[in-house]
Amino acid sequence: MVGDSFINWSLLSLSAPGWGGLLLQGFLSSIEIAVGGYALGLLLGIGGASGKLYGGPLVRDLLECYTTVVRAVPELVLILLLYYAGTDLLNQVLGAFGIGTVDISGLMAGIFVIGVVQGAYSTEVLRGAIKAVPAGQIEAARAYGMSPFMVLRRITLPAMLPYAIPGLANLWLIATKDTALLAVVGFSELTLVTRQAAGATKAYLLFFCAAGALYLALTLVSNVFIGMLERHARRGFAEQR
Amino acid sequence: MLNKQKGNGMKKTLKLLALATALAITGAATAAAEQVKVGIAAEPYPPFTSPDASGNWQGWEIEFMKAMCAEAKLDCVVTPVAWDGIIPALTSKKIDMIIGSLSITAERQKTIDFSDKYYNTPTGIIGAKGDDITPTPEGLAGKTIGVQVSTVHQAYAMKHFAPAGVEVKEYQTQDEANQDLAAGRVDAVQADAIALDAFLESDQGKQCCDYKGEVAEDVDVIGPGVGVGLRKGETELKEKINAAIKAIRENGTYEAFSKKYFDFDIYGG
Repeated sequence: MVGDSFINWSLLSLSAPGWGGLLLQGFLSSIEIAVGGYALGLLLGIGGASGKLYGGPLVRDLLECYTTVVRAVPELVLILLLYYAGTDLLNQVLGAFGIGTVDISGLMAGIFVIGVVQGAYSTEVLRGAIKAVPAGQIEAARAYGMSPFMVLRRITLPAMLPYAIPGLANLWLIATKDTALLAVVGFSELTLVTRQAAGATKAYLLFFCAAGALYLALTLVSNVFIGMLERHARRGFAEQR
Repeated sequence: MLNKQKGNGMKKTLKLLALATALAITGAATAAAEQVKVGIAAEPYPPFTSPDASGNWQGWEIEFMKAMCAEAKLDCVVTPVAWDGIIPALTSKKIDMIIGSLSITAERQKTIDFSDKYYNTPTGIIGAKGDDITPTPEGLAGKTIGVQVSTVHQAYAMKHFAPAGVEVKEYQTQDEANQDLAAGRVDAVQADAIALDAFLESDQGKQCCDYKGEVAEDVDVIGPGVGVGLRKGETELKEKINAAIKAIRENGTYEAFSKKYFDFDIYGG
């Protein structure tokens, strides 16, 4: 398979003798998991942050447990736990109720685990950002007679975004790379496909560099969007040097 | 799903009808037959299973699977899973059987069930060219040996080599162990002789390494051969598979596809 030249670029071609098509498919799966996991994480984070800030003592304690435990256990362990033990447990519970078995696909397991992990971190990011909103602005909004929901929509959310975006952007970039962890359960995302391609062709350098370039491209494109979002969120702020 | 196997007569008739149609159209059982997810290790393990550039799996074991499934009238779907999680994947019903060069051992039989063996090959050791290694505990003392994790080879190396002062290094895939041998991080690699042969015939293997010999036998650890891994209690499926293995052995199919890969009888004694 390996040609005479130092690097055999034809291995990367998109159709059959080349592995490029498979790599891109894997890359697409990685992005799917990252987007799904991040979206789920953001939802959990918004709920978690509101619960931690405005909830009762019980809610706050439960959320404290969630963020502590999830941030303490390595994601790799969580993935293995959910994918193998979790499916088994779910099927036993479903079996007890007389419902047939279900199969948690690698994709669902990946989105769920990354979502839960991201949720714990974004809870803390959002909580910090909300607390950074000057109390005076919220009091002023209340003084105008705004309902709590309107305060949230018009004051708290827009005012906290400039503080939250750098942290959330970090989390997004981490999510894109966390997808590689799913290789351990045999899910065909970019890292696993790369390892298979490299193993089958022995062109390790080429394929790992190609995967690195794809991850880098994802980050560069993300950075452009994050920059736009941040500029939008910080409109009206004096630029500090 | 396997647990829906005991369907009623109506379902059976429908299934037969669908199967007949599929056979008429394509000449092979397609999605209409009962789907069985066959777990293989998601890693290149030539010449038994390895992925090609279009994402399909090929190799001797894939051909065995196709022949066996056709004989047993099962609609088998290749489902790659991580090797070190392949038994949990079976017990948690992510897959329905394992055709992944899984040796029949007493230890594994505590958790899962096996069909009759479908191949048996010796266990060998390879090392760097010119390196004076013999496949014995004494010959390896003070050296580092690479094995794939949760294989019979790991169990063998831990039992026979580790007490003699051999450092045993575990790898997630066989390919990684071979790579580290080529890179000089381990002195020897123990594995299935056929799989090692495939590596020695590759460009990289030709340059770095050669075969050092077979290890002494230990049936307790190595087992009597490789069988199809099944969940405990699924005797109906097991009998089907055993009958199919016997049938393809007898009608020459087994020999026909094996000849493409090996110049000897891989079934073993």
